[in-house]
Amino acid sequence: MKKKTTGRSAAGLLVASALTAAMLAGCSSNNNNAGASGSPAASPSATASASGSASAAPSAGLPEPAKISIFTEYSNAWPPKADWGVWKWVKEETNITVEQKTSTTTLPSEALALAVSSGEMADVMSVFPGDVVKFGSQGAFLDLSKHMDKMPNVKAYLDSHPVIKMRVTQPDGKILNIINDGAGAGNQLVWFYREDIFDKNGLTPPKTWDELYTTAKKLKELYPDSYPLVFRHGLGTLSIFAPSFGVLPEYQKDPATGKMTYGPLNPNYKKMIEYLNKFYKEGLFPPDWLSMDYKAWTQFMATNKSFISVQYIGQIETMNNQLTEGRLKFMPPPLGAGDKAYLPQGGYEDYGFAVASNTKNLDAALRYLDYIYSEKGRDIQSWGKEGETYTIVDGKRKLNDVYKESNDLRRVSGILSAGTYGWFDFEAPLSLIKESEREAYIESPKYQFPVSNTLPILSKEETDSISTQTDAIYKYFSTSISKFIMGETPLAEWDSFLKELDKYGLQKVLQTYQIGLDRQNASK
Amino acid sequence: MKPTLIRNLKRDRTYFLLLAPVLLYYVLFKYVPMFGIIVSFKDYNLFAGVWESDWVGFKYYKMFFQNPDAYDIIKNTFVLGIYKVVFGFPAPIILALLLNELRWKAYKRFVQTVSYLPHFLSAVVASGIIIMLLSPSTGWINHVIQSFGFEPINFLQKASWFRTVYISSEIWQEIGWGSIIYLAALTAIDPQLYEAARIDGANRWKQTLHVTLPGIAPAIVILFILQSGKILEFGFDKVYLLSNAATYETSDIIATYVYRMGIVQGNFSYATAIDLFMGVIGLVFVYSANQVSRRLGETSLW
Repeated sequence: MKKKTTGRSAAGLLVASALTAAMLAGCSSNNNNAGASGSPAASPSATASASGSASAAPSAGLPEPAKISIFTEYSNAWPPKADWGVWKWVKEETNITVEQKTSTTTLPSEALALAVSSGEMADVMSVFPGDVVKFGSQGAFLDLSKHMDKMPNVKAYLDSHPVIKMRVTQPDGKILNIINDGAGAGNQLVWFYREDIFDKNGLTPPKTWDELYTTAKKLKELYPDSYPLVFRHGLGTLSIFAPSFGVLPEYQKDPATGKMTYGPLNPNYKKMIEYLNKFYKEGLFPPDWLSMDYKAWTQFMATNKSFISVQYIGQIETMNNQLTEGRLKFMPPPLGAGDKAYLPQGGYEDYGFAVASNTKNLDAALRYLDYIYSEKGRDIQSWGKEGETYTIVDGKRKLNDVYKESNDLRRVSGILSAGTYGWFDFEAPLSLIKESEREAYIESPKYQFPVSNTLPILSKEETDSISTQTDAIYKYFSTSISKFIMGETPLAEWDSFLKELDKYGLQKVLQTYQIGLDRQNASK
Repeated sequence: MKPTLIRNLKRDRTYFLLLAPVLLYYVLFKYVPMFGIIVSFKDYNLFAGVWESDWVGFKYYKMFFQNPDAYDIIKNTFVLGIYKVVFGFPAPIILALLLNELRWKAYKRFVQTVSYLPHFLSAVVASGIIIMLLSPSTGWINHVIQSFGFEPINFLQKASWFRTVYISSEIWQEIGWGSIIYLAALTAIDPQLYEAARIDGANRWKQTLHVTLPGIAPAIVILFILQSGKILEFGFDKVYLLSNAATYETSDIIATYVYRMGIVQGNFSYATAIDLFMGVIGLVFVYSANQVSRRLGETSLW
C-alpha cells in the first residue's frame, strides 16, 4: 500500500521517465556506435549526384544505399503513406531509403519535444525556429555550419537567401536548422466571403471593420441561426485581425522606432478588441470560438451557418469544392485603424530541417539535405517526374489528372507536405488552381504587412533568463484578451491590464529581444 | 541453530518468489526514476547528461516562488484537489449504498455495468465527448437548456465553470469503478446484524445508518487516507484538454504548468523542482491524515 504515499502528478512521472529514458539512451549510445559502422555509410563523394546533370540511367553513379528516418508533422488531411512518390524519388536520386516518423499529436512541436526529451530523435527532423531555440542550445541538433563542405547545394541556397541565412544563424555563429522556402504562399492567411449570399441580399464586401460589423449584423437578422463570421484558431486568429489594425498580436518590431515592442501597447490594439467584444456580445461569431477545430469550422461553412471567414488561402478552393451551393470569394482585408488594411506577412516559411546531434547516419542525412535544397531536388520534389506525374503540353508542364487540387499533391504523392522538400517551386500547385480561384493568389500579395512576425534569435542564456516571464506573460495575455472579448472584464480596465503586464516582466522580455535585434542588425 | 532471517527466507521461499516480480516492478519503475530528482538541483542539459550538468542548488525552487503566478497555480491545484475529495469521495459510497438496497438483481447488475463503463474511456475520448456535449452552439446539453427557455451556457469558456465541469466529469467517470470496493465490503457484513436490527424495529434508513455504514467504515477510512495523498494528483491530461485561454485562471494547475515548462519549453530542471516540491506536500497530507485517523480510531495505514 506504500505506492500511493507520494503525490506525484502525471506530468511529473512523464518528466521523470523521460529523464530516465534520456539517461539510458546516453548509456547505450557508445555501444551503438560500433554497430553503426556495419550499416552502409555513404561516401563523402555522394553529393555529386545532385549536380543537376540529367543522367540517362538513374542507377548510374548513385552513392551506396543508406537509410534515414525523418520526423514530420501528421495531418489528417493527407495521412502519410510509405509509397508516396516523394520518398520514391528520393530513393531514385540519392539511394536513400526514408522512414517517415510522424508526429504523435496534432501539435508537431509538442511531439518533437517528447521525442527529443526521450532521446528518440529521428536522423532528420522537421523543426520550427522555436524548437531550435529550445533544444538547439542543449545540443540536440547538429551544427550544420561545420558540414557545409559536404552540402554545396545547401551552402548555395543559404547564400542566395540572405534573409533565411540571418534567421538560422545563431548568436554564436552556429547553424542548427535550415528554413524552407518557396511554399510560403500557401501559408498566407486571407479573408473570404460567400459571394452568392452577399449578392442575393444586395450586400457588398465590407471595406472597414465598421462595415464588417453592419454587414454581419444584417446577415444575422436575415439568418438568425447563423454566426456570420467564423474562425477556428481561437486567439491565434488575432494574427490575421491585428494587421488590419496596423499591429501584430504579440512581440514585434515597431516600424516607426525600429525597437522591439508588444502589440497590445499600441492604442489600435484596444480598438480591435472592442470590435471583437461587440461581435461576441451580439452573437456574430460562434460563442465556442476558443475550442473550435477544423471539423467544426467546415461544418459552419458547409451548412450555411457562416458567410465570412479567415483561413489559409488554399481553403477557399477546398471549401468551394465541398459546397453544394454557393461560392466563396477572396475579400480584401477590412480596415480597422491606420491608413491601409493589411494581411499578415506571408510568403515566408517557418518550417525547416535539423539533423539530430546523435545521428548514426550522418552522411546520408547530409546527403538528403543537400539533395532537397539543390535545383534538381527542388524540381523533382515539387513536380515529380515527367511521364510519371506530369506531361509536357505545348512546352508547359501539365500535372496528371489524378491531381485535381493542390491538396491532392499532398494526399497522393506527398508533394508539399512537411519534411519532403526544402526549396519548393510553387508553380506546381499553382498550375492546378482553376482560373476562377487564382484571384486570392494575385490579390493577397498587395496587402502584405510590412513587419514580419519572426523574432530575433536569442542565445541560450537570454532564452533561459526570460522563460518563466514569457510563459507568465502569455498566460496573462491570453486570459485577459479572451475575457475582454467575452465581456467578462470591461474594456475600461484595459489600462490596468497593460500596467499589470509589467509586473510579469514585460520590460525585461522586450529588452532581451532588443539585444537580439541589435545583434542581428549589427551583423548585417 | 540458524539465524531467524535465513530460516524464514527458506521456509517462505515460495512466497518471496511470488513477491519478486512486484518488488522488481517497484524498484525499476518507481524507485529508479526517483534518482532523476537530483536534476532539480542542477542546470540539467539533456545531452550532457545528469552527471555532467552543473549544480545550481535551490535556484529553480526560488524561481518558482518568485513567479507571480505561483500562488494562483498552487491555489488552483489545492482547490481542485479538495473539491475532488469533498464531492468525488462520497459519490461512490452513496452509489454503493443505493445499489445495496436494490432488490431486483438483474437491474442492479445493469446499473453497475453501465456505471463502470466510463472508467475505461481514455481522457482524450472523454474530453472530446464533454467538449461536444457542452458546446454552446451545437452541444446537446445546451439544446436542452435552451428548450427550457434559458440562455445557453458557455461552460468551457468561463473560468467559473471549469471546476464544476471537471469534478462532475470525474464523478461520472469514476463513480461506478469506485463503488466496487464498497460493494465488496458490504457483502462482508454479517446478515445477523440486520436481523437483529429488524427485530429491534429499525427501518431501512436506520439499518443503513447503524449497521451498513459502521460495517464499511474501515474501508472508507483506509480509502480516505489513500485519497488524501492524491489530493494533488490529477489526471493531468483531462485538465489539460478541457482548459483553454479563458479558463487558465482556475484551470492552470501544477501538472499543466510543469508540462508547459518541462516538456513544451524544455526546462527540465525547473519542472522537476516544482514537482518534487508537490510530492513532498502530498506526503505531508497522507502522513497527517494517517495521524488523525489513528488518534480518532484504530484504523490506520501504518
